[in-house]
Amino acid sequence: MDGPDSISTRRALLASVGTVVAGGGVVYAGSQLGSDPTGRSSSRDRPPFHASSESTGFGIDLSGHPIMGSTDASLEMYYWSDYQCPFCQRFETNTLPKLVDTHVATGTVRVVFIQFPYLSTGSLTAAVMDRCVWRQLRGETPRRYLAWHSAVFDEQGEQGSGWAAEDNLLEVTREVDGVDAAAVESCLQRDRAGIESSISADVDRARRLDIGATPAFIIYDPATDRAVKLVGAQPSERFDTAIAELRNA
Amino acid sequence: MTDRLGRHVSRLLGSFAYPLTTRGRTLGTISVAVTTYCLLVLSTFPTYSLQLLGADLGYLDEALLALTANTYRTTGAVGLALVVAYAVTTGVALTVAIGRVRVAGRGGAGGLSTVLPGLLASGCASCGAGVLGLLGFAGALATLPFHGNLLRLAGLLLLVGYLARLGDPRQCSVAPPADSE
Repeated sequence: MDGPDSISTRRALLASVGTVVAGGGVVYAGSQLGSDPTGRSSSRDRPPFHASSESTGFGIDLSGHPIMGSTDASLEMYYWSDYQCPFCQRFETNTLPKLVDTHVATGTVRVVFIQFPYLSTGSLTAAVMDRCVWRQLRGETPRRYLAWHSAVFDEQGEQGSGWAAEDNLLEVTREVDGVDAAAVESCLQRDRAGIESSISADVDRARRLDIGATPAFIIYDPATDRAVKLVGAQPSERFDTAIAELRNA
Repeated sequence: MTDRLGRHVSRLLGSFAYPLTTRGRTLGTISVAVTTYCLLVLSTFPTYSLQLLGADLGYLDEALLALTANTYRTTGAVGLALVVAYAVTTGVALTVAIGRVRVAGRGGAGGLSTVLPGLLASGCASCGAGVLGLLGFAGALATLPFHGNLLRLAGLLLLVGYLARLGDPRQCSVAPPADSE
């Protein structure tokens, strides 16, 4: 016959096994949730891109930022991201293609891509390279920017693993058709300090808008001067609602 | 020294076994653990959680799945395991604390006045990562060494230490004579 100690030990063992199984299940599920199998919509190749040197009514300086959508779009969506941020990758995979189909391709919204590198030095390297790529493409082939932007997010690895090191990002760039990796490398060597200073100003401006993590969005209606802020990789319906609210205001 | 360690380990095992002694305690512990897990995961990105759940509580599953995946991607398997371990340990600690109060009474030695401060101190320290998020430093966690895992580990150790002192609330612990130490 078992004594109280034996029963207690058995229960403790059972509790430990239960905890390990439950915890292992959550961790395994987390790992599977992180690897999203859905591909990116081909519709993302359709929207036009353009450059601008203006400042918007909301106070965002557009110079140096890729802008996706029509120049006549009635709404502007400022999109702050970090190439090392997994939540940004989730937005890029799950939500952005739907927004492009529903609101950008139809000419309602234009999306301004703004870098907010805050996770590590790799984030800043990727952000500087982003500017270099855009400088190269914005004149003749601005649509190619999205291919590079998506390729970098596809390459995203564990933070601090070195995937966002300059050499690796240049390797990714070489594989993107229409982007001259050698010219990007020259830009990095020649203009890095100036670009970093410009990015730093963008980050300061974002912090003044109370943005502290990515992805973050402000959807702005220049006609009414109203804006809606969304944070995190929210589902596309939340963006639909925000856009509808602004349009119906 | 070895005896003292043995007694702490024995009390810790007793604490973890206690929630399994009745169905009610087990269900209560699981409920607290699940609630704690949800709160901890949602607090990793509080602005996002508040916006999503403020719009519709039906987004709870979306928020939990997205932030579980994000926690895994940001802090790794170790970070997510620490969150799970903390949630389970909190469930155990609360069940044991309630059991202790029931056995000792609210006013008695080892009762509410003794149990509550320890539980609050351990709990507050343990959820430090969550508190940082709630205070608006969600981004700061990602920049901490090991993405806040050290903070989570320290908090978890505090809770485990608390349980190792408490033990099975149905058993009285009598201090051994001084010369036996």
